[in-house]
Amino acid sequence: MDGVRVGNRVVGTQSPVTIGWENIPKVEGGPLKRLFFSWFQPAFLFALLAFWYYAPNSIATISTAIWIGIVFRVLMLGLEWVNPRYASWRLTWKELVVDLFYVGFTYTLLRIVDSYIGSDVVVKAIQAHLHLGKFAWFTGLPLLVQAFALTLIFDFGQYWMHRGMHNWYPLWLPHSVHHYITQLNINKGAVGNPVELFLIGLGIGGFFDFVPRAFLLAGSFGLAVGTYQHINVRFNSPKWWRFLFTTTEHHSLHHSQDYESTRCNYAGSFIFIDRIFGTCIDGEAELLGMEGGRRMTVREQMTYPFTEGWKTLKERFGRPSVAVPAE
Amino acid sequence: MTSPVRAAQPWSPQPWGPADGSASTNPDTSFADKFPSMRLITWIWHVRGSLALAPGQSGNEAFGRLAPLFDETGTSHERTNDTLTFSKKDQPAQDKMSVFDSGALRIEKGAAGSVLHYHLVSRALLFCFLLVPLFLGIAQLTIALGKLEKPATEAVGASKKPVEKAAAVQLNPIDKFLGAPAPDQPKKGDADKPAGRNKKPSATSAYVFAGLFAALYVIGRILEAWLVKRLFRKSLLGS
Repeated sequence: MDGVRVGNRVVGTQSPVTIGWENIPKVEGGPLKRLFFSWFQPAFLFALLAFWYYAPNSIATISTAIWIGIVFRVLMLGLEWVNPRYASWRLTWKELVVDLFYVGFTYTLLRIVDSYIGSDVVVKAIQAHLHLGKFAWFTGLPLLVQAFALTLIFDFGQYWMHRGMHNWYPLWLPHSVHHYITQLNINKGAVGNPVELFLIGLGIGGFFDFVPRAFLLAGSFGLAVGTYQHINVRFNSPKWWRFLFTTTEHHSLHHSQDYESTRCNYAGSFIFIDRIFGTCIDGEAELLGMEGGRRMTVREQMTYPFTEGWKTLKERFGRPSVAVPAE
Repeated sequence: MTSPVRAAQPWSPQPWGPADGSASTNPDTSFADKFPSMRLITWIWHVRGSLALAPGQSGNEAFGRLAPLFDETGTSHERTNDTLTFSKKDQPAQDKMSVFDSGALRIEKGAAGSVLHYHLVSRALLFCFLLVPLFLGIAQLTIALGKLEKPATEAVGASKKPVEKAAAVQLNPIDKFLGAPAPDQPKKGDADKPAGRNKKPSATSAYVFAGLFAALYVIGRILEAWLVKRLFRKSLLGS
């Protein structure tokens, strides 16, 4: 495969990729369908922001956010069925069960672990040790600025953590498991080794005090932007949207079977961070995964970083096997 | 000698006994066949079924039509005269039979015509079934940890001096102008309460997921058995 030159790199030499927005297929069908799949994303984001901005305090609660999240995911499952990006990414019962296992794992066991050694706990310990208060000035900012700043701080940290995972072997080991997925579906973002799921959830948001409503507004970006990273729905996202926000196209390229293509588009929500640091490529891929699309079992997903790490350690520091000459 | 494919199977699927109905003397007979009552248990992840072949369709022709299903990445299969056994490893999601890990298909000639019998093994079904007790266990663990922590938290709370007073939060003038509701002013004692995302984990999520997997198991056990039968039927008809 010849590949495509993008800046200093050549992508698509190992597996087919589509580069450039003009080459990416558009939503086909009647005017209503095209209208819906062109404007759903911005309409939902602005509607959600408006809702959290104006909802009375009795409604603007975490439990409402949880219900909105559930309804949104069910809606996305429906859209995946109606307008899939690729038939080969069609969600199966087995994939749904495995994906939901990881969602459940994150919401239960990982949350317990986080409550003991998560970043919020570490931040609290640092604050107590240094007699620091929270950055209370943050609460004086306009709500939308607080929300945007919270999301940006988290996404910026996640960008570097993610980029580090692709460039430093000890971090790549837990992250590599996530790159063995061969489809993008609504819950695929949750699939990964527990060590990685813990690491990617780390943030410094705990240092800041903020109005609870700002936290809910910040969640809008996570739900109405971040969710589209792993999803099997074809949208005609507006130009300004795909310039600012990470889209399925960006993230599918990041999951491509082509190695060079995986080394781009690290940001979870704000693709402009990739644009700033020169790691953004506008394009998409259908063939995803590692080792030619080998799918890992759940058992291997759990153990892979440790078994591979052990193998590498043995190779590097183990005793070299001495060849015994034949008598 | 056992073929490599047979050796790779976690269970040796042999749902059919001798034609006369007597107990099988084959040492390779499955656990479920040795202990018929175990069939109820193995039903959890074993899918058995049969399908009548079209009149005049030979076993060779039938296996020929089914063959593409086993030409998938990660799938190995072996065929004798009337039996096809297969085994899958790291099968991709795009494989139409990815939910099954091994199995056997056999064509038997009966008075009414030839019948395809199949016995398929799915670790995914077993996994889903076991997720229910796993998440119930996680719920119990969450409750137990909560109880363990309570005395310690209460002790810390009792010794804490009541100096911390939750500060009143004021909205930015821009938000006031745009009409955003002002935040509730903290009540007495709110400063000690963990806020929003810092709350201690509750067992509710684990119970919800246990229920979800119970429902998914029932759906999957019915759906996957129906889907594979439909897949075989379509393949045999060549449509």
